[in-house]
Amino acid sequence: MNESQSGLRGRTASPADDADRAVLALVTAGQLDALQDLYDRYKTMAYSIALRITSDASLAEDVVQDAFLGVWRNAGRYVEGRGSVKTWVLSIVHHRAVDAVRRRRPTSELPEREDVPPPALQLPDIWHDVAAGLDREEIAAAMGTLSTVQREAIELAYWGGLTQQEIAERTGTPLGTVKSRVRLGLLALRRALVGEDGLADGLAGDGGT
Amino acid sequence: MTEPRMTHDEAIELAAAYVLGALESTDEAAVRDHLATCAESHAEFEALGGVMPSLIELGDLELVEPPASLGTRIMAAAAADLAEHPRSAASVPSMAQAAPPAAEAGPAQPSAAPTPFPAPAERAERAERRERARTGRIDWVLRIAAVVAIAAVGAWGLNLQRQLDQAQRFDRAVAAVVQAAGQPDAKTVVLKSGEGARASGIAAVAADGSVVLAMRDLVATSGSQVYEAWVIVGKQAPVAVGGFTVDSNGTAAFTTRPATTPPGAVIAVTLEPNEGNTAPKGPIVAAGVATAPPTSS
Repeated sequence: MNESQSGLRGRTASPADDADRAVLALVTAGQLDALQDLYDRYKTMAYSIALRITSDASLAEDVVQDAFLGVWRNAGRYVEGRGSVKTWVLSIVHHRAVDAVRRRRPTSELPEREDVPPPALQLPDIWHDVAAGLDREEIAAAMGTLSTVQREAIELAYWGGLTQQEIAERTGTPLGTVKSRVRLGLLALRRALVGEDGLADGLAGDGGT
Repeated sequence: MTEPRMTHDEAIELAAAYVLGALESTDEAAVRDHLATCAESHAEFEALGGVMPSLIELGDLELVEPPASLGTRIMAAAAADLAEHPRSAASVPSMAQAAPPAAEAGPAQPSAAPTPFPAPAERAERAERRERARTGRIDWVLRIAAVVAIAAVGAWGLNLQRQLDQAQRFDRAVAAVVQAAGQPDAKTVVLKSGEGARASGIAAVAADGSVVLAMRDLVATSGSQVYEAWVIVGKQAPVAVGGFTVDSNGTAAFTTRPATTPPGAVIAVTLEPNEGNTAPKGPIVAAGVATAPPTSS
């Protein structure tokens, strides 16, 4: 393991993360005012994400309600060390929003997702480690390291809620090409943000070009 | 459930699409199963998954404030959920949960360690779901409880702490009613306020005819005043089944003496000037009809 990676993992949480975890513990204990507190902190981000994905104000409200009820019922399933509370909450919002748009699309099969991502899906986030050290231009530059088609594939998946198969159909691209665009795009983004791809054992393979 | 398991290499292949949420649901479930059962390294998932939060920040997201009513809705729904599923002591976070995880290689978090599928928590949830399905009658009364609990927090934000105390006390009272309502042959009662009163609540008539009450917005009793519960069957005289006092919190959890309470009987609560009255003297503050739940599964 190289130095930057261990530094990343070993970074102590910010005061905001600590405060969030304290609030989440109270949510787990059934404190309604703690939920109100958490909601107030992230309602704007949550609603904005849901609105961007669903393009429907009323559906976005339902998504945010579902997501926060998921947080309310499953706060005990948040696993510390696998990302910040903020990331956890917003990833639940993202999941619910994607579910909502897929349900609205008649052609898509209904995903059977859980209320909250299981621990295996709660991945350590690097964002709050790198965000402080980056300005807007560097962030834009990170996105700029992706090719147009990589960026398109990732955005169609993340903000459009499309599956790889649907992206292939939508863009008239072979499925295999979409798969590699998604993968190489994410690897490029990681390298741009943290300076390495985090895959010391060469798993990244063709991502190194 | 007997589909061939996904191999480790196959799962790694799908890592990018998985963390992005871009897999078809069958593939996604297969990857999730794999992650839950495979002890090998999943560095690819971690490396790619770690990028996800930055997509939000990188996406030039236009920030839009949600309507204020959304917060009210969510808090009301959470309060109703709390009434349906009161937090048990076991769900209170322990110190172990608050402690930081040990070295990354160690299975400090049992849920993060590879476990046979399904994971224990999921199994417990399934058992709970089965339990709920079996007790269909509880669902019915829970819906009533939810409505009442939503009313309990309708004026959210006003005098928050007092409301929280009330809501929590009321939640516990509702939990007792729900438990009674789950017994065989139980009947439920929605108590609506009488003229000039704001009190409301729910009640369940247990098999022995005792009535378990959960009420809120009662005016505090003073002096010798007492709230008295009555069972009225048809045109017969009201039968006093027990009295209780209420403090400034305004909520009450009370179980009456057993009485003959067939479906259709009226349960009424009056505010009596003194205890021990055998016929009501004070005004009715709330009343409702004992109803047998529809027979379901």
